[in-house]
Amino acid sequence: MIEAGPILRAMTRNKLGVILITLQIAFTMTVVINAIFIINERSSLMARPSGLDEANMFYISSVGFGDDYNGPVTVADDLAMLRQLPGVENATVTNAIPVSGSGSNSGVRLSDDESAAAAFAAYYRVDEQAIDTMDLDLIAGRNFNTGDIQWREPGQDLLRQELVISRALGERLFPDRPLNDVLGETIYIAGLQPQTVIGVVNQLQGPWPTNSMVELSMLQPMPSVGGRSTYLIRTEPGERDRLMAEVEEMLVSTNENRIVRGLMSLEQTREESYRIDSAMSTVLWVVISTLIFITCMGIVGLAVFGINRRRKQIGTRRALGATRSEILSYFMTENFLVTAIGVFLGAVLTIGFSIVLTSSFNMPTMAWYYTPIGMLALIVIGQIAVLGPSSGAARTEPAIATRSV
Amino acid sequence: MLKMTDVSKVFRTELVETHALSDFSLTIDEGEFVTITGPSGCGKTTFLNIAGLLETHTSGEYLLDGTDVLSLNDYQRAKLRNQKIGFIFQSFNLMPDLNLFDNIDVPLRYRGMKSAERKERIEAALESVGLLARKKHVPSQLSGGQQQRIAIARALVGEPLFLLADEPTGNLDSNTAQGVLELLQEINEAGTTIIMVTHDQELASRSKRNIHILDGRISSPALTTVSSEPQAAAASI
Repeated sequence: MIEAGPILRAMTRNKLGVILITLQIAFTMTVVINAIFIINERSSLMARPSGLDEANMFYISSVGFGDDYNGPVTVADDLAMLRQLPGVENATVTNAIPVSGSGSNSGVRLSDDESAAAAFAAYYRVDEQAIDTMDLDLIAGRNFNTGDIQWREPGQDLLRQELVISRALGERLFPDRPLNDVLGETIYIAGLQPQTVIGVVNQLQGPWPTNSMVELSMLQPMPSVGGRSTYLIRTEPGERDRLMAEVEEMLVSTNENRIVRGLMSLEQTREESYRIDSAMSTVLWVVISTLIFITCMGIVGLAVFGINRRRKQIGTRRALGATRSEILSYFMTENFLVTAIGVFLGAVLTIGFSIVLTSSFNMPTMAWYYTPIGMLALIVIGQIAVLGPSSGAARTEPAIATRSV
Repeated sequence: MLKMTDVSKVFRTELVETHALSDFSLTIDEGEFVTITGPSGCGKTTFLNIAGLLETHTSGEYLLDGTDVLSLNDYQRAKLRNQKIGFIFQSFNLMPDLNLFDNIDVPLRYRGMKSAERKERIEAALESVGLLARKKHVPSQLSGGQQQRIAIARALVGEPLFLLADEPTGNLDSNTAQGVLELLQEINEAGTTIIMVTHDQELASRSKRNIHILDGRISSPALTTVSSEPQAAAASI
């Protein structure tokens, strides 16, 4: 940095190129940092666990038709067969699949009146094997027992009063209370009897991954045995793919009065549900890479132009005693100063743009460290970009100083 | 101070070999004002580049202040240039984007000198060439003669062992050239050795000794042609 003063004063006499590259760096930094923040936000959303053992789970639907189709018997037989299959840990029947994008939710109240709902929560209507099948972590209370389950046909009233809720729903409904205190509490759901909380699971995401209330969910012991039944199956590790084909074949062959469809692993479901987020991240990475590449080219172009324009000056500096490393240092310092001005301007723009995103699009506030890390990264990228041209300048022979052309 | 013995410089390409200097022997002592003359292509600039450590010679021995420069690496040569040699170029070679103060500061920065000492020396150098009041100006705001004075100030500011001047008046009109020459003579009289490459016989006649080069060799007696009378020296060329 020994040359910083003269370099800065010299820059003021060649403003245009410096201003243009500075603005380019500032613009790049603003876009890149905010884009990385958005990508990270999306990535952390996509990385949230659903609470289920997704790697070993799949589901398949059975849709019965015709007068000969007996829903309750078919579901009971199917579940019994599924649970006996070698490699199957457990199976349950449910009305919805977590993170699938399709399911049901309901407003939850703490009093039996028409007051506003305290929360909206997704519900899964399942049997007593659901918690084990989903591999959920029951952290308070108890699971359903066989006697709690009401096998329900379409149109039949919902009578059961037991409920297992997610930790997040418990904390939302009863803030600042230990989870064990929540057990026995009564909550009200439209169209149902008052419900009593008998258990709390650590995590169970709802079907809509982009919903801000995705963690609010509950299990109701009222599985449907109507026309359509969805079986959720957990396998031993490594057995999932084999069993997916086997289960499909088994369901097709055991009952002619139904259609079997929708075979999918939970991993595939997650991938499909987050496809837009994943695509957006890819597009943003392309934008980031392109911008950084163009900015690097701009930095290299300005450096090469400046070096070629000043080739005789470099020779003169060498004649006056500059070593090669001092010439290298001169151009690296020059680039550092240009980039530093750009990133400081970019920091202001980045924070301003982030405030606009936060206030206009309800995005979370960007963590403080994004801006300094971005500044440092761009300075390092700038230094790397200019290293080649600067090394070329450093190889300039001092004898150029005495050449007349 | 400067001693060359049988120095040769050969430029080689795939097709041709050019002997720019051949068996060049020369000794220059402290306090001398020596001019190097000769026609275009005779080897003047090659001599200047070798004497100024801007190029290496192919063979022979060159002792600068007792140091055999052929054994030095690039870094050592740069440091030796910075400490021992002041350069004055035909087209001044000032940095157009730097003001006069910063221009003169260039060699001192490479010497790693403290800021306060640099400032003192630069202002003294500017004062000595009569341009202290214009230290914030850039070279383009000066006339050719003034720019060459700044170049001389830059060459002198490091208190070098000798000045190497390459056609210092080549880009100046005769009146301005006269002024620059008088300045160089004053500098020499103050004790600084000057080696000046020129094709101007008038300038050569003002020096204490003239070396004439032809086809890469000294054509006048390098070690003995010393004249206390500049006019007499000029007559011998």
